[in-house]
Amino acid sequence: MKNTRMEKDAHERMKPGVITARGFLGRDSRALSDIVQTDEETFRRLGLEFEAVADRLETWRDGGTRGLGEPVTLEGRWLARTGDARGVLPCPWEDGVFHKNSVDVTDTRSGDLIIYSDLSVHLLRVHHFCQGLGSPFRLDPESLARMMKS
Amino acid sequence: MSPLLIGPLATGAISGLLALVIALTDRVVNNYGEVTMDINGGKKSLKVKGGSPMLGTLGSEGIFVPSACGGRGSCGACKVRVLSDVGPVLPTETPYLTPQEISQNVRLSCQIKLKKDIQIEIPDELFYVKKYTAKVESIRDLTYDIKEVRVLLKNPSSMEYIPGQYAQLVTPPYEDIPESVQRAYSMSSRPGEPDHVELLVRLVPGGIATSWVFKYLKVGMDMELVGPFGEFRVHDTPAAMICVAGGSGMAPFWSMFRDMKEKNTFPEKEIWYFFGARSSRDMFFLDELRALEKEMPRFHFVPALSESKPEENWTGDTGLITDVLDRYLKGKIDPSRPKEGYLCGSPGMINACIDVMIRNAIPESGIYYDKFA
Repeated sequence: MKNTRMEKDAHERMKPGVITARGFLGRDSRALSDIVQTDEETFRRLGLEFEAVADRLETWRDGGTRGLGEPVTLEGRWLARTGDARGVLPCPWEDGVFHKNSVDVTDTRSGDLIIYSDLSVHLLRVHHFCQGLGSPFRLDPESLARMMKS
Repeated sequence: MSPLLIGPLATGAISGLLALVIALTDRVVNNYGEVTMDINGGKKSLKVKGGSPMLGTLGSEGIFVPSACGGRGSCGACKVRVLSDVGPVLPTETPYLTPQEISQNVRLSCQIKLKKDIQIEIPDELFYVKKYTAKVESIRDLTYDIKEVRVLLKNPSSMEYIPGQYAQLVTPPYEDIPESVQRAYSMSSRPGEPDHVELLVRLVPGGIATSWVFKYLKVGMDMELVGPFGEFRVHDTPAAMICVAGGSGMAPFWSMFRDMKEKNTFPEKEIWYFFGARSSRDMFFLDELRALEKEMPRFHFVPALSESKPEENWTGDTGLITDVLDRYLKGKIDPSRPKEGYLCGSPGMINACIDVMIRNAIPESGIYYDKFA
């Protein structure tokens, strides 16, 4: 799949040391469009919708906020902790800035752990970007599917 | 010459020529020569090479303005007041500056490029901030996700600081992190032991500095610290201290309480310390703080669990720390005594505690905290 100029610029900004020290790509050397397309196909195969997943991530984030920095058990299954950091982060596509935070959610049933921020939710919802393979903030579709399965 | 080669060769020649023009233009246009930095009305004057951001230039001259993002303009911590004209506030700065700060010419030092002589104001305390090399003496697991790191300062070999202040831990490049990173941690050590610094580090999943500490930092290794920073400290008033923390927010209080006991400072101050955790496995320093209660009768320790389970046999307070605080302020702490708040934790926890304190007649001007993650 061919990258647009905008995607190439966003890809550059996702590299380590530009917006964040670690970047958004992990060890993934694929083109941005390939990363997005592959995850979109996996979402379709697993019956996931980006909007619904983003909504759920925000629900877990808000639940974790109630713990005031300590983990909170949500609905007897998910352990969520929401932490804040100083400052904001711009989206690599330059369509917004987002409060720096870090949410970690563990599914006590499956053992899956995901880590994300407000920016991660935006990247997923708007750009269908789950982050590159090996990125600690990657929202792996298979893990999301297990965590959202009732 | 083959006509097929003419196109690529011409393109290459034009590109090379353009690159040369850009390089020459850059040398001429972006050569700002030597720039004079006047700091705090002549208190310090630096002659530096122009063209670089102010934050890094100050750091290379031994003046360390706090920063948590390495100068990327994403933390908003490196504020300085600029007294000379450096142009309008940049779009990269506006998210971090209040209208009042903008009217006072407060700027992010990482976003200001030094192009001509400049006058700035910084807190005088920053003149005393130094970069230290230190040797790790011990690393102790306080819980499954909190470590106490104790270091011996080597160069300089001692640090003067006030209990409640913080240092920035410098992590080297590692794994896929290509650059050094600094993160702020309150010092839990006592100033009475100036050749040592202790930090409490809680593992943040995906966190750069905490992951490095948990994975790579070992006893015997050398590391770097920058400090001390911060305004958080005990205030010399007769008001009772109402202190609230969770997790590694314990650090400044562990430093303050031990220092107060050791030096018998602020002897008229009654101290209430509320410490919140989710479960008993998240609690630490329980024995030490209960011992301190016995040794210092004016000190009251209130640990509370938000999700205690019957099998934990927890006999202390339960509930969110804000609810516990509210109960004590309403029914157990002398309402006639003036009080002031001391908070260390996430911004969410701090905001929630401020609400509870204000509802219970603690004036907002008497609530002190350092808000960082």
